[in-house]
Amino acid sequence: MDPKLTEVSQLFERFKAAFLRKDYDTCSNLLSQLKVKLTEFRSLPPLFEDTPNAVRELTIARDIYEHAVVLSVKIEDQDAFERDFFQLKPYYTDACNKLPPSPQEYPILGLNLLRLLVQNRIAEFHTELELLSSAALENPCIKHAVELEQSFMEGAYNRVLSARQTVPHDTYVYFMDLLAKTVRDEIAGCSEKAYDYLSMNDAKQMLMFTSDKELSEYIKEDHPEWEIKNSCVFFQKAKESAPCKEIPSLQLINQTLSYARELERIV
Amino acid sequence: MATTLVSSAGGMLAMLNESHLSLKLHALSNLNNLVDTFWPEISTSVPLIESLYEDEEFDQHQRQLAALLVSKVFYYLGELNDSLSYALGAGPLFNVSEDSDYVHTLLAKAIDEYASLKTKAAESSESVTVDPRLEAIVERMLDKCIVDGKYQQAMGTAIECRRLDKLEEAITRSDNIQGTLSYCIYVSHSFVNLREYRQEVLRLLVKVYQKLPSPDYLSICQCLMFLDEPEGVASILEKLLRSENKDDALLAFQIAFDLVENEHQAFLLNVRDRLAPPKSQSSTSTQAKPNDIGSEQNATASGPDDIQMTEGDSASVVSVPEDPSETLYAERLTKIKGILSGETSIQLTLQFLYSHNKSDLLILKTIKQSVEMRNSVCHSATIYANAIMHAGTTVDTFLRENLDWLSRATNWAKFSATAGLGVIHRGHLQQGRSLMAPYLPQGGTGGGGSPYSEGGALYALGLIHANHGEGIKQFLRDSLRSTSVEVIQHGACLGLGLASLGTADEDIYEEIKNVLYTDSAVAGEAAGISMGLLMVGTGSDKANEMLTYAHETQHEKIIRGLALGIALTVYGREEEADTLIEQMTRDQDPILRYGGMYALALAYRGTANNKAIRQLLHFAVSDVSDDVRRTAVLALGFVLYSDPEQTPRIVSLLSESYNPHVRYGAALAVGISCAGTGLSEAISLLEPLTSDVVDFVRQGALIAMAMVMVQISEASDSRVGTFRRQLEKIILDKHEDTMSKMGAILASGILDAGGRNVTIRLLSKTKHDKITAVVGLAVFSQFWYWYPLIYFISLAFSPTAFIGLNYDLKSPKFEFLSHAKPSLFEYPKPTTVPTTTSAVKLPTAVLSTSAKAKARAKKAEEQKANAEISSESASVASGTGKGKSSSEKDGDAMQVDSPVDKKSEPEPSFEILTNPARVVPAQEKFIKFMQDSRYVPVKLAPSGFVLLKDLRPSEPEQSSASAMAVDEEPQPPQPFEYTS
Repeated sequence: MDPKLTEVSQLFERFKAAFLRKDYDTCSNLLSQLKVKLTEFRSLPPLFEDTPNAVRELTIARDIYEHAVVLSVKIEDQDAFERDFFQLKPYYTDACNKLPPSPQEYPILGLNLLRLLVQNRIAEFHTELELLSSAALENPCIKHAVELEQSFMEGAYNRVLSARQTVPHDTYVYFMDLLAKTVRDEIAGCSEKAYDYLSMNDAKQMLMFTSDKELSEYIKEDHPEWEIKNSCVFFQKAKESAPCKEIPSLQLINQTLSYARELERIV
Repeated sequence: MATTLVSSAGGMLAMLNESHLSLKLHALSNLNNLVDTFWPEISTSVPLIESLYEDEEFDQHQRQLAALLVSKVFYYLGELNDSLSYALGAGPLFNVSEDSDYVHTLLAKAIDEYASLKTKAAESSESVTVDPRLEAIVERMLDKCIVDGKYQQAMGTAIECRRLDKLEEAITRSDNIQGTLSYCIYVSHSFVNLREYRQEVLRLLVKVYQKLPSPDYLSICQCLMFLDEPEGVASILEKLLRSENKDDALLAFQIAFDLVENEHQAFLLNVRDRLAPPKSQSSTSTQAKPNDIGSEQNATASGPDDIQMTEGDSASVVSVPEDPSETLYAERLTKIKGILSGETSIQLTLQFLYSHNKSDLLILKTIKQSVEMRNSVCHSATIYANAIMHAGTTVDTFLRENLDWLSRATNWAKFSATAGLGVIHRGHLQQGRSLMAPYLPQGGTGGGGSPYSEGGALYALGLIHANHGEGIKQFLRDSLRSTSVEVIQHGACLGLGLASLGTADEDIYEEIKNVLYTDSAVAGEAAGISMGLLMVGTGSDKANEMLTYAHETQHEKIIRGLALGIALTVYGREEEADTLIEQMTRDQDPILRYGGMYALALAYRGTANNKAIRQLLHFAVSDVSDDVRRTAVLALGFVLYSDPEQTPRIVSLLSESYNPHVRYGAALAVGISCAGTGLSEAISLLEPLTSDVVDFVRQGALIAMAMVMVQISEASDSRVGTFRRQLEKIILDKHEDTMSKMGAILASGILDAGGRNVTIRLLSKTKHDKITAVVGLAVFSQFWYWYPLIYFISLAFSPTAFIGLNYDLKSPKFEFLSHAKPSLFEYPKPTTVPTTTSAVKLPTAVLSTSAKAKARAKKAEEQKANAEISSESASVASGTGKGKSSSEKDGDAMQVDSPVDKKSEPEPSFEILTNPARVVPAQEKFIKFMQDSRYVPVKLAPSGFVLLKDLRPSEPEQSSASAMAVDEEPQPPQPFEYTS
């Protein structure tokens, strides 16, 4: 066996052990070492060279990145999630003819979809969706994300919030929590357009807050343009930003005059 | 297993965000390989990569890699400026020799950028800091070109970037230095727009030339001439003349002839005066002067042989030294001074034009008969046409045969009739004075001559001596001083201007200025033009003085004369003239704006400068005055003459303008820039204009067409024949209006100009602009206001001849091939007498003598010629010339005629020409010299003056028949008087 590969597998074993111990700091350290080691394998994307150990190297690399993705969920780091997921993706899309499919593939893809939903990146969500085969869409992990998105789009926010109970995988819980916040943002955006003002109580109910304090803190942080007066929330300010456009009359006059002059001069 | 390809760069982009450095590096280097395919994906992450490039923590290599990556992405995005600045950041990673679109594009961009920076630095004189990295890339590129042997590319780039050091390196390291040098000269003339920079380049070239083991003196002297460095030319000439080798002397003569061809009188005089006199003879230092002194004496003594005598004197003075090598040198010096003064070439040209004259008097006769008696415009047009047709041939048969008819010319018509003699006798330096004597103002005697013919005669003298007025200046000055008649002043001013063209003589200037300040309209106009002629191309501040006066005076004529004069002073100054041009073109007075157009035309003559063209086009469509618009379009012709193919394209739209003035301008612009080329596009553009609805547009188009078609035979373009018939039809048509009739008459004159042996040429063979010719055409185009200026066109005529000369500057018998069908370049067939008119004995009838008789006469002539050679020396009395000239004339006529006789046989594919021969410009590329010939040309030139090296000097030389008469001028014709 290739010494490098051995080294990587040993390191990976230690990583898995630490992962099981939930010693996430060690995990992160080991992971970054692993990633550096992986750059030395020429069989990995984007080179995909045919080395004798290609399949084994690819498998272990995929495994490492899958773990990295899960780890990023555990440590609640969305950026790391995105980074690792993108590095993992070529193993699913481009190396699928070299490797047997991974059991983790669909859960991770589902997680990614969920992440996009949380970050309200609907366009990318659909792009990802288009890339999946019809078989994949049947998978419960994917299906869950798709249904969530549908409810989200319909505005059936209660269904979204209740879906937390039916997660197909325990890693999903983190994102489901985040989703509640995304839903609140959506509602806030809609109310802003729909109402001139709302009473504090209605607003609290609508935005799913339990106390006035939470509401005012939310307003202060995310919507400083809202105003709280007479125990009502006013959205007026936000609407003022549509000034009537002035007609550039002077410019138009000048232009017309110069046309007239040019016409006179035509050869 | 199928090879696996990545479908996205997303993974690598994600890796860029990793915190570990080696991961980033890994990602960068992979992305760099993928960028050609995945640049759209990468482009969204450009800010991230940019931040990597700016990250101080990174080591150099990584940052450069990032820069290279960003540069590539920007390249694909079409942001070349950003791409270039990052490529510079990439340092050595940007591989100049890589063969990819990216590298090619960026290199081009880099060179452009560098060139524009350098140009800006040179122009604004303040230091512009050039990015050293940019410089490094350009240098790497240049070095690579040189190493790869792409010298032309390297030279072009080096010139563009103002890197003369690299240019020198490219030239000296090339394998064919002569070739590269001449290429470089070509490039610097055609593509270097800035005059000063061009001079720098040329100076460098001269330096390189001089370093060569066997310098190409011909080219060096050309360069030096552009640089206006007479010392250099003089020292080279002297070196060659002092050489023991006869060939070197031949080369020196050849150089002198080539320089003369460029018509830079002031320069030539400078060179001549700088040639050292033979050592043992200190008294010969005044040798350059005797001619002047002689002619000054002449002014009082008057006599045809005065000048010849003084020439003889100076020759005898020179031949005194004892030392044989000095004697040799002195002898050669006399010859070269003769050449440099232009006298030798003028004499040979005159001889050629006289002997080969093939003008068709029947055409003139037809014109004369069809023109109405009382119509003075057409009457004088006929006189103009005659003068142009016989320009430089000294044949005034037509005038002498029609004295009665001629006498109908009165007043100004008389002026131009007399001046016409000057055109006919153009270059007849020795006898010009005596020829014109009957018409010249008779000092003191209060002669009965009309002021018009006297003024005309002075103008004629100027035309005869145009650009070579050493001998006549003094006389013209005296005449100017001693008269207060404005007509005579007019003629004298024009004459003086012509004779001292471009000499910038202060005294003459002052005298003409005095005439100007008399504020007489007629004299003032001529004075204005004359001052311009005197100061041509000097760019002197006299222009401001003239401009001030133009603002003061009330006379439009004077303003116009001055405007043109000012324009003439900035001839060829390019950017230096910009202030003056700006001043003129913004003037309130349309006449001065009109002068501004001429200034633009002349300052940027033949440069095809984009800025000038843009300005002219702007004025052509936006000025309120028709005159200015017309001139602006016309001026395009001058700016573009070095690139005639362009003109028809540029003015084609203008030629369809609703404004007849613009159409007229377009016609003349094409006529000027395409003169003598017979360019098909030009003819196509002019054709519809010749039947325009407006009379003066027709006139302009006819004249322009004649200029384009001069010396083009019907065989090479059938439209020439059509045009000739159209002219005839217009002239004969009773209902045609005067303007176009005049145009047609002039056009017939121009079409057969100079006995059908000249063409209009604004560029010499070395691509130098011929100052006299350009000035001549510029003033000629003024005929719109003042008909006598038509004669200025004769300055633009240059003979189309191959004249081979031996060491003694005589034409030896020498034959060469024209490898084309003779009919392509033959003279047009003489017109036949219409059957209805009674048969008149015509001078052309000489041509119809039977071939046999001709052959016999020719033989006799040759024998005679042979016999003559031995005795051919200065002692040959001019008295013998009288009897000879008539027989010679026949001989020549027949010699030329012989190809026509062969008509019935199937046409041969080549033709043997005998020195001196007519070689039209289109024919030049077919000229071949024979291998086994006795003479070898010093320079392989298909036309012009060519020195011949004698390979068998021991054998007796045979002079060609017509060359014999070089020493013996044809006798001046008998003076005739106006009967009225």
